[in-house]
Amino acid sequence: MKGLARVMAIAAPFALMLVCGFAPEPVRSPAEDIIVTAAPVYEPLAALRGEERFSKGAQLLAIHEGKAEPLVTGFAATADANISFDATTVLFTGKQRSGDPWQIWELTLANHSVRKVVDTATDAVRPLYLPGGRIAWAERSPWGFRLESAEDGHSPPTAPLNPTASGKLPLTYAHASAFPSEVLADGRILFEAGFPLGTGATPELYVVYADGSGVESVRCDHDKARWGGTQLANGDVVFTHGGSLARFTSPLAHESPIVAPRAEYDGTISETASGTWLVSTRASAGAHYALKLWKPGTAALRTLLAQTSEDIVEPVLVATRTTPKRHPSGLHDWSYANLLALDSRLSREGDLRVEPASVRLETQDAEGRAVVTGTAPVESDGSFFVQTPADKPIRFALLDKKGAVLRQEHGWFWIRRGEQRYCTGCHTGPERTSENRLPAVLLRTTIPADLTGDKNPREVQHRTSGGN
Amino acid sequence: MSRQAQNEYRPGVCGGFVAVGVALLSVVLWTGRPVRAAVQPETSTSADYASPIEVLLSPDGARLYVLCQQSDGVRVLNAVSFAVIKNIAVGRVPRGLSLSPKGDKLFVTNAWDDTISVIDTEALEVIHTWPVGAEPSSVLENLSEKHLFVANRISNDIAVLDAQTGVEEKRLVAGRGASYLALSPDGSRIYVTHVYPKIVPRRTGLENRLPPESEITVIDAERAVVVDRVPLPAIAGVFHVALSADGHLGVAAEYHPRNLLPLAHVEHGGAFTYSLELFGADVGKTPVEVPLDELNRYASQPFGVAIMPDKSRIYVTCGGSEIVTVIDVPRLLRFIHTHNGPFAQDLSASANYVVTRIPVGLNPRGLAFSRDGRRLFVANRLNDTVSVIDTRINRVASTITLTGSTTSPSPLPREDDLTIASSVVDGKSTCSKCHGDGRTQSQYAPTPEDLQNLVDEHKERMVPSLASSGSKTISPLRRGEEIFYTSRFSFQGQIGCASCHIDSTFDGVQWNLEPDGFGRNTVDNKLLEGIVDTEPYKWTGTNPNIPTECGPRTEKYFWRSENYDERMLTDLAVYVRSLAPRPNRWRQANGELTSAQERGKVLFERAVDKFKKPIPESNRCSSCHSGPKGTNQNIFDVGTRKPNDNTGLLKAPMLTNIALTAPYLHDGSARSLEEIWTIYNQDDKHGRTNDLTKDELNDLIEYLRTR
Repeated sequence: MKGLARVMAIAAPFALMLVCGFAPEPVRSPAEDIIVTAAPVYEPLAALRGEERFSKGAQLLAIHEGKAEPLVTGFAATADANISFDATTVLFTGKQRSGDPWQIWELTLANHSVRKVVDTATDAVRPLYLPGGRIAWAERSPWGFRLESAEDGHSPPTAPLNPTASGKLPLTYAHASAFPSEVLADGRILFEAGFPLGTGATPELYVVYADGSGVESVRCDHDKARWGGTQLANGDVVFTHGGSLARFTSPLAHESPIVAPRAEYDGTISETASGTWLVSTRASAGAHYALKLWKPGTAALRTLLAQTSEDIVEPVLVATRTTPKRHPSGLHDWSYANLLALDSRLSREGDLRVEPASVRLETQDAEGRAVVTGTAPVESDGSFFVQTPADKPIRFALLDKKGAVLRQEHGWFWIRRGEQRYCTGCHTGPERTSENRLPAVLLRTTIPADLTGDKNPREVQHRTSGGN
Repeated sequence: MSRQAQNEYRPGVCGGFVAVGVALLSVVLWTGRPVRAAVQPETSTSADYASPIEVLLSPDGARLYVLCQQSDGVRVLNAVSFAVIKNIAVGRVPRGLSLSPKGDKLFVTNAWDDTISVIDTEALEVIHTWPVGAEPSSVLENLSEKHLFVANRISNDIAVLDAQTGVEEKRLVAGRGASYLALSPDGSRIYVTHVYPKIVPRRTGLENRLPPESEITVIDAERAVVVDRVPLPAIAGVFHVALSADGHLGVAAEYHPRNLLPLAHVEHGGAFTYSLELFGADVGKTPVEVPLDELNRYASQPFGVAIMPDKSRIYVTCGGSEIVTVIDVPRLLRFIHTHNGPFAQDLSASANYVVTRIPVGLNPRGLAFSRDGRRLFVANRLNDTVSVIDTRINRVASTITLTGSTTSPSPLPREDDLTIASSVVDGKSTCSKCHGDGRTQSQYAPTPEDLQNLVDEHKERMVPSLASSGSKTISPLRRGEEIFYTSRFSFQGQIGCASCHIDSTFDGVQWNLEPDGFGRNTVDNKLLEGIVDTEPYKWTGTNPNIPTECGPRTEKYFWRSENYDERMLTDLAVYVRSLAPRPNRWRQANGELTSAQERGKVLFERAVDKFKKPIPESNRCSSCHSGPKGTNQNIFDVGTRKPNDNTGLLKAPMLTNIALTAPYLHDGSARSLEEIWTIYNQDDKHGRTNDLTKDELNDLIEYLRTR
């Protein structure tokens, strides 16, 4: 009797909750089909080392009403599904024969026809649809992988990327492996690469515009091992930090943790219309990833698909999604780039107290050796204005009056040909805007110091035809 | 009285005028005070839309007063059922709304009539219409009901009226673009904000360009004298200002431009920081600027500010972002007292005090709390709605829909209109009636005749509103206005046309546009009203028409993000073309010129200088500045090129309402019309003027002000 009373005492509140409608909402399977990559071996960060993620092959599976079947036939391996914005086609990477390099293909869902989109001699993986009739992908390069882009082949381009009117356009120019994760709502491409860029191995998330300009890290609280970012409908970017999940949110200059059930998470997640997430998790490093459904804020993961001998990763929903903003490239038709530093003394690592006298620019040769292209004076307010080599890795060092290095960039970045940018400081972080002040260098001259390393100085062009 | 009689010398009267003049001079120190607006019918838009811009609740909470700018009236609603009690017609383009301390009178400023309407709140009738200064923008009565204070945007002053008779007692010099007023709860002080920055010190090139600066003018509400001018460094435009119930916290919404930097990108707050200025005992001796923006999301075009009665939260309407930003006051004060400023350069600062952002309608403006603070009413100007926010959950609880003119209901869309509209929505449109040749946006360059045809052809059409509901259809002109005010097309929503063209005018700020070169070709922002048929556009005249100005180049070099489609571009062009000049305050109501203006007109049109030497036609004022708009639309070098300019060839700018738009010249280097010739025309290349005396130059300027 006592036992029954105890059971009643425990059960009553739950019964009351059910009657009153306070029962926790069950996590429902999404109504849409899901596409996943199933692979016997999956190493998510291998691409950052230029290595194979799916060393024993992979296969795309379509999950329809709980049942998983191969998405395409006639391929030795398939992976990396990306759904078009109107949910009619799927980009994926595939090998028709096991010895082939990975290539980019497109499946039309209505009739299951398949066409090759990108034909390269080396591996081309992780394709993403871009707005404006273009796509991006990672292509094997001497430095691992490099981001490339091109028209999607469906229709005449609505907005050719300047200055490359058609054909393939590289988006990354560092001697480092770069791997795309997502196209953000603002049109920038989120990608992962080692930090510091070109020298380090800690996975970090970066963004670049669709013409390869404006490269920067998403946030500057580095050394967190971040990879696999996905943007949610609310604008937050969810990614894997180590094995757990974390997010970037618009108000914060640093990542914030996501409290989720204990597990090891793979980077890519997918958000359903109801706000639940499709995630790939595993119990430990030795186990396989399974596809789970998780409602943020709840304590449980619900398994949607698990295979004893395969990892189930890269889930995507077959559903329409908002088309990101197209980036209207404003690159000029120049072979070089201009960069204005407003106050090079400013840095997240602490503002420089010693007044820099000059700035030195370095690039890398084909073998990755640092090559100095020149030095330029730094004004008393910390500003400098330089013309730089374009589409090459570059980095700056601030020098004192004797030429000793006061501070040097840890990694490399690039600036596109025809790009003009200004920086608030040297590594000030995306949260720091600029003071509304005319930099002293522009009071002295509006002609940038030539640090291109070219022996023949070129005439500086100030105008773009047609005005603005 | 004839002009001749007016000009006769009358010593007795003159002596009296001198005495009055000296007395006035002690109050008003501005030589260019305009005369009253001429009463002339000038309408820029249809009255099919209400365009609510301000809201107020009656002291008993029973009535909601909604100031409807486009239908020129006050809508009186039952504050519970939202049923319309009455529409009260006021003057043209009403802008400001306030209640008397007892709530028995409602005051409305009529910006285009230069009057205020006084409404009896019992009878709901206009009982007085009193003349004030140029473009009155807000009005307040002091607690003793002795004075009415009116902020006049164009005359840059505060008119002090006898609250019982409406007779103007004096003017107080304010900052530039005096527009919004707030009374301290104890009734002792009035705080005035300004939508345009002060005129900066004289400069000749880049060397001493300074950031814009504004001020909060503080007035003793009983003595009606200015007691303080609180400088707001780095701030260009300031809008609503509010005081907490205890009077210890003042808050104003403001724009902090980055105009001295090249507009090379808009990420990281490259164009603006949108912020609040905090002042008062809670803050300390010095005002503190706190940003509303985030790293990847902006609070574009903040306008209305309201502090909860219990001072727990601040609500700010952001017109371009179409949101209300909610701020936790204790957290905000804790933040500013425990962190070292300045904060304006920190996009992560708002995480410390912004609680949430509530999506509302298009172009939210004025806002008002219910007495208990539980409901917040927000006027969505371009939605014709009022959002009612439940402040306990910070969500829109209901939306009041206002129709436009009560006599002119919106036309129903025709079937083919909707077909065209829907073909645009999918982003692949070619509106067959306008773009039948399949031209893309970048190729689209219609002639003025094309555009006029479009205006005529489409004025009866209906197109989908930008409003998220998607089901609402509006006129193309109205959608053009929506596009003009929204910031949704720019990268991360930072800027819209209205960020720099405040209330579709200008911002008094000079910008450095990236394609011209860093630090090169600084350009003054120009007035938009009346620019139709004055192409080419841009100071250098390199943009042939409005669609080119607003289309692909705006996408590339301003928004840095995907633009509107071709159909929307046409709507925007239709809207910009529709912007009629506001009444010219320097013209007399009877259309005649004063004697000084007549003398100036002769100088403007002269072909021979004072030494009887012929002035080449190309160097006569009336040659380059010919035609009804004062431009022959050609390119000239008038010797104003600065070392940082790429060219001295500039398009002759129109003269329409030129008195409003100081500073002058392409780079804003002339602080006044006079300086154009006294400082920047030493070689007589900008018209023959060096033979003129100071009085003659003044006459010329008097005439130019009538254009």
